[in-house]
Amino acid sequence: MSSIKPLAALLLLGAVGLQGCASQRSEESLEQAAASFQQVKNDSSVLRSAPRDVIRAGESLGRAERLSSYWGSGADVRHYAYLSQRYSEIAREHTNLVLNQERQAKLELERQRLQLALREAKLASVQQQGKWLEAQIVSLATMQSDRGLVMTLGDVLFDTGRADLKNAANRTVLKLVQFLQLNPKRTVRIEGYTDSTGAPEDNLRLSRDRAQSVADTLIDLGVDEKRIQVEGYGDQYPVEANASERGRAQNRRVEIVFSDDQGRLGAER
Amino acid sequence: MRTRPLFAALAVMALAGCAADPAPHEQLRLSEQALEQAKAVGATDEVAELKLAEAKLARARVNMASESFRDARVRAEQAELDARLAEARVLTAKSEEQIKVLQARVDRLHKQLGEQQ
Repeated sequence: MSSIKPLAALLLLGAVGLQGCASQRSEESLEQAAASFQQVKNDSSVLRSAPRDVIRAGESLGRAERLSSYWGSGADVRHYAYLSQRYSEIAREHTNLVLNQERQAKLELERQRLQLALREAKLASVQQQGKWLEAQIVSLATMQSDRGLVMTLGDVLFDTGRADLKNAANRTVLKLVQFLQLNPKRTVRIEGYTDSTGAPEDNLRLSRDRAQSVADTLIDLGVDEKRIQVEGYGDQYPVEANASERGRAQNRRVEIVFSDDQGRLGAER
Repeated sequence: MRTRPLFAALAVMALAGCAADPAPHEQLRLSEQALEQAKAVGATDEVAELKLAEAKLARARVNMASESFRDARVRAEQAELDARLAEARVLTAKSEEQIKVLQARVDRLHKQLGEQQ
């Protein structure tokens, strides 16, 4: 008996010690959960966006606190503290989402306002330019080819080596937007081409950038981006021999391929 | 003789333990649903909370098989909230991405309008 007693005492001490450690851990998780709950509870936008999650965080925390007064309930305390912590985090995350959605709605309104303003500004500038520019600058050829309806934007609408569309393209672009608004099912593929001067990879990039720049302008003016595909073909598929300056100028172009009225586009090249 | 009441008490406690923890089928269903939902909005293993949820649900299923219903319930409850947090995080991240795109659009429009004048 005398040898067993110290052992039992040791075991008892060990058990109490373990319990002590465990209750310290419970204490910590309880404190953390309480701190998180305080934060969401005192945040008016959280209360507005995720009231139910806040209430649940509070309920779980209350449960953890009640349990913490019982001996040997450490695991339960930690469990409910964990749940409370999670509810607080979910509440915070839901709030972020709601705030983002509100910001998105505002941005969307601003975008529409700016699109309208841009359309008006372009119209005004077209009226100023007068008609002679169109004939001179825009090579606007629309034809029914085996690729469907194709419209060509000439080289003069871009500065050499640059991808930005010049203001001289406004009239054409506005016509294009108007056409797409009148034909909501039609989609377009915007294809960029260059002449054979320069490195092929530079040409490929430039052709793609120019096509993208036309696409961006259409999107800015309110055309849904889902209706627009963008391709760059570099110096492939020339329409004229690259031997003369005139031929090269003809090869530098952006072509807009229209789908049929059901939105079916011809195959890519 | 002194030990008998202790045994009795232990037995009662053990029984009470069993009685208080029926098989948490409903909770497991809820947790599975929450996980499905999180995956449906695009949560992957790269979201830490989703990984946690999956691990806990798997352990809860093991606990169910060995009839440790209390452990099963605890893990399943935690897995449910882990999954819901994962879902919320993914949705927020997505909305942030959308805001970025929209903001870039608006910036571009401002720039174009500036050039136009």
